[in-house]
Amino acid sequence: MFMHDLRLAFLSLRRNPILTALMVIAIAAGIAASMITITTYHARSGHPIWWKADKLYAVTLDPRDPDANGAFASLQRHPEYPPLQVTYQDAKALYRSDIPTRAVMMFRASRVVAPRKPGEKPVALDTRVTTADFFAMFDVPFIYGTGWSRADDEAPSPVVVLSRYANQKLFAGVNSVGQTLTLNDKDFRVIGVIDAWNPTPRFYDLNNGSFDLPENLYMPFGWTTALKLPNNGNTNCVRANAQVGGFEALLTSDCVWMQYWAELPTATQRQKYQAFLDNYTNEQRRHGRFPRPVNNNRIVDVDTWLEMYEVVGDETRIQVAVALMFLLVCVLNTFGLMLAKFLKAAPISGLRRALGASRIDIMRQHLIEVVIVGLLGGALGLVLAKLGLDAMRALATRPIPGQDDNPARVALQQSLSSMDTQMFFVALALALLTGILAGLYPAWRIGRLSPSTFLKTQ
Amino acid sequence: MEIRALLSAMWRSRVGPVLVAAQVAITLAVVVNVAYIVKLRVDNISQATGVDVDNLFWVAMQAYVPDYNPAVATPADIEWLRSLPGVAEAANSNLIPQGFGTTILPVSYDASLLAKEGGFGQGVAPAVIYLGTARLVETLGVKLIAGRGFSEAAVQPPAADGRATLSNWGPEVVITKNLADKLWPKGDALGKTLHTGLVNKPATIVGLIEYMQHQPVMGPAADLFRSIVMVPSTPASQRTAYLVRTQPGRRDAVMARVEKDMAELQPGRYLSAMEALADSAERQRAGMVTSVVTLGVVAAFVVLVTVVGIVGLAAFTVATRTKQLGTRRAIGATKFHILRYFLVENWLITSVGALIGCALAIAVGIKLSMMYRLPQLPLLYLVGGVVALWLLGLLAVWLPARRAAAISPATATRTV
Repeated sequence: MFMHDLRLAFLSLRRNPILTALMVIAIAAGIAASMITITTYHARSGHPIWWKADKLYAVTLDPRDPDANGAFASLQRHPEYPPLQVTYQDAKALYRSDIPTRAVMMFRASRVVAPRKPGEKPVALDTRVTTADFFAMFDVPFIYGTGWSRADDEAPSPVVVLSRYANQKLFAGVNSVGQTLTLNDKDFRVIGVIDAWNPTPRFYDLNNGSFDLPENLYMPFGWTTALKLPNNGNTNCVRANAQVGGFEALLTSDCVWMQYWAELPTATQRQKYQAFLDNYTNEQRRHGRFPRPVNNNRIVDVDTWLEMYEVVGDETRIQVAVALMFLLVCVLNTFGLMLAKFLKAAPISGLRRALGASRIDIMRQHLIEVVIVGLLGGALGLVLAKLGLDAMRALATRPIPGQDDNPARVALQQSLSSMDTQMFFVALALALLTGILAGLYPAWRIGRLSPSTFLKTQ
Repeated sequence: MEIRALLSAMWRSRVGPVLVAAQVAITLAVVVNVAYIVKLRVDNISQATGVDVDNLFWVAMQAYVPDYNPAVATPADIEWLRSLPGVAEAANSNLIPQGFGTTILPVSYDASLLAKEGGFGQGVAPAVIYLGTARLVETLGVKLIAGRGFSEAAVQPPAADGRATLSNWGPEVVITKNLADKLWPKGDALGKTLHTGLVNKPATIVGLIEYMQHQPVMGPAADLFRSIVMVPSTPASQRTAYLVRTQPGRRDAVMARVEKDMAELQPGRYLSAMEALADSAERQRAGMVTSVVTLGVVAAFVVLVTVVGIVGLAAFTVATRTKQLGTRRAIGATKFHILRYFLVENWLITSVGALIGCALAIAVGIKLSMMYRLPQLPLLYLVGGVVALWLLGLLAVWLPARRAAAISPATATRTV
């Protein structure tokens, strides 16, 4: 029965090759445009640490002046959000709380490994200066060794953790734990090497591009002041009286430049922590800080955080919307063509009905035709989408001057326009849905027609 | 006109016309909004940089020894760069136009507005701050409309603490006209004192730049990135960046020379990055170019598919009504009547679709402008869209209608 229907469907499709081709191409174009844009959207709206999504919280306070002028507020899309980062003095104060299971204060810096023998080139390493919990909190995998302790932050101990890439570059990939590394002019001991770890988007610091690799070197937080480390990222002085000047001023003034995260697995902890933050800012207000009258302290989970700061980007969203509208036009178009095609061939169905085929038979035969068109369109659409994404990937691999030559970066950039299995099934579902949406009514309409109408007109 | 007959015929097979009208409606909403979004981006991409983008490049030196001394190294580097054959001018700068990073500070004509407890008041504007050595203005190749670039004597030696560079200012500054017009609307900025918040520095305005763009961005920041202050200072940090302007056609040769020899002029450093400014500018615009291409291609396909839909419907109507059309011809309708019938039918469908499409386009436009802070969709786009769709619709229906008009009256007499 099915094979018979299939044969009839193919015969019918071949009867009007141009019309069939038009329908297939329309669906294919709609699917391709949708898949290219949805894939980009999907890759950018990833859940980098989904298994801990309800445990990790970005902590932000709002030490800003009220913006009487509005000249600065108009530059922000959401002037009501507190700054993305916290000040050094607030980070230090929050770190004293023992409510979170774990907490990190951190920032990005840069260190250089001097040439170790003549003729060797110096190696610049993006550096994360952070407190000890970073590795356990973000589930960073280690190949060799471990991270450091809170006591190492305090000391600070001359220890560092390397990325897999840095270990490859500096120690040819062998276990480098215990080796000494001269960073700028200071000796550090390697205590750990982390494995490939590319949270995408790089949620924990949205400063230097959300779609880049994590740092290559990790250093205990105490080195911030010991080495007067300059940060590589935004420094935003949020009060009119903030004194911008040397390093010491940066530590005491209302300039935000550090990221702060807390692990708060239970609702009780979150409530207590929110109360702690509000107490803290109320107390600071008495000392003339936090001039805004209402507390705007936020603890934000990872997914909300990525949404708040619009990691996906406007262009991607607009493209998806336009592509889906296009797909809708394609559905309507195929709908119309399918209806016309079925009605034109209605006398044949009338004949079949007269010879004993039931309404269901007629409908099924036409539905199979519809599904075939949908699947053909979907298959062609997938091929077109792949070509489009390949072109986008080729564009994404242009190196940026000053970046290291880590091949993982190219892989990451390319993954932003690569279709995964999930996307493949989305494409399949979209193709079937398109075909059925476009063909259900025409098939039903044909099935409902009384055979006599057609036999008469002949 | 046989409007009633036409409407009754359409009503009898209403699904087809409804589908085409829906396609026209969505097409109008998509095309009008995409055209506007694309226009905004193209405007942004094609904005002038104000600098001599084709002959400039930048190079960054990264030091890794603690005794690296910018007070000695930076002047020596600039002198070396200027001595190279093919180099027109060179300077040190904390920011690279069309590059990465931005320093923004609040500026005003009145220091008290900047010191106000509880936030900046009226008369304060944000500005992009370039800190650079003598002849920075000349190196960039921007056009001065009044005054001069800052003098050699005004350039501050590097601060002892790299982080203090930002507050290490000379007594004079050069600003862009865009900023000058905001603070001194009467056009008398030259010679006035510009006060800068956070670093608390007053400086005399000695020159006005006609136009310069720090980075191409959309939205309210676009204006900020044309409000620039150039400050005479020698940046002090482990990483120093130089801007070099070459004579026309010599850029690549100079870059090759710099890559080969410059780092070795001082011990304990290396060349960490270098790029032609034209490439930096292109990189800054790459995302928007991709977006324009993607949106443009998809919108073109939307139109194409809708046109195919109109042709398809008309061709189907003609095919199924061959006999009736023949009969009409036989009882006196001219070819013109038949042609007119199809053109009017299509025009009606397109118009109904366009009417719904207008409402849809405005709704989408409002939603977009709220979500993405775009300016409201100008009505002119809507008018243009409707006219374009009318023309396209008539064009699409023309061939099937011609075919219908060509049906011989004799068809009526044939059976089967």
